[in-house]
Amino acid sequence: MGMGGGGSSGGLTSEINVTPMVDIMLVLLIIFMVVTPLLQSGVAVTLPKGKNPDEDPNIVKDTAVVVAIPSDGVYYVGRDIMQGKDRLVQTIQTRMTALKPSDPHVVYIKSGTNVNYGEVVNVIDAIREAGIDQIGLVADKKKAGE
Amino acid sequence: MGMGGGGGSTEASPNINVTPLIDVLLVLLIIFMIISPQRPHRFEAKIPEKPPENMKDVPPDPLSLLVTVPKNGELYKLNTEDLNGVGALSDRLFQALNGRPADRKAVFIKAPRTVPYGDVVKVIDAVKQAGGQPIGLQIEDLEQ
Repeated sequence: MGMGGGGSSGGLTSEINVTPMVDIMLVLLIIFMVVTPLLQSGVAVTLPKGKNPDEDPNIVKDTAVVVAIPSDGVYYVGRDIMQGKDRLVQTIQTRMTALKPSDPHVVYIKSGTNVNYGEVVNVIDAIREAGIDQIGLVADKKKAGE
Repeated sequence: MGMGGGGGSTEASPNINVTPLIDVLLVLLIIFMIISPQRPHRFEAKIPEKPPENMKDVPPDPLSLLVTVPKNGELYKLNTEDLNGVGALSDRLFQALNGRPADRKAVFIKAPRTVPYGDVVKVIDAVKQAGGQPIGLQIEDLEQ
């Protein structure tokens, strides 16, 4: 940060100092490298977009039960992969009983836009088997102009 | 890094340039303004209970609204009415829901298994916009 003022001679030759620019770029780069893995709360899924989904801050809480379907046939609860439907039902049941009465009695489904609806139906069926009737379908809100 | 070698003068008077400092700080501020406000959103839906085996022939309530999502090349249906596209569906649904009391606004959605999930979300979005509350996803007797 010890840049002396650029030489102000009579002619107008401005020399752009590249050094501060490179400094800022490196700072940006390091920030993104550090922040991005911390932001991902769960499995990466290409969420569908809608015009009016409601906000629900409960989704990112640690206690929330989120079933993720990144692609056909692959199911995650939180960060754990589920190998079969029974395991999925069991895990949902266990996580739901661990909820406090103050937490909403709901299971969130985070499915990718291109996943077959049949996969989502399988998950909904498993959720119903686990005894829950309220679900939240996670989606991104379309910003004005999209 | 751009510092000329300190002149060998007898006095030490460092001049801190504030300009690059402000630049970096503004950049950081903008980054955090863009990254942080990412609140998660979701559509609420309910799952109707599985009907017991011996009740499958009960005719549905004529006042209930059922949206059928088509496979390729077919039309959207609202109960038995054909509609061309999500926009027409949304308008027709809005008409149907408008006069109803708040506890009669339930809409059910039925979609075949081969349809991509994104399309179903578009339908849910349209139903929500038309005022359907709560939205039920029927998962019995789906086509492949």
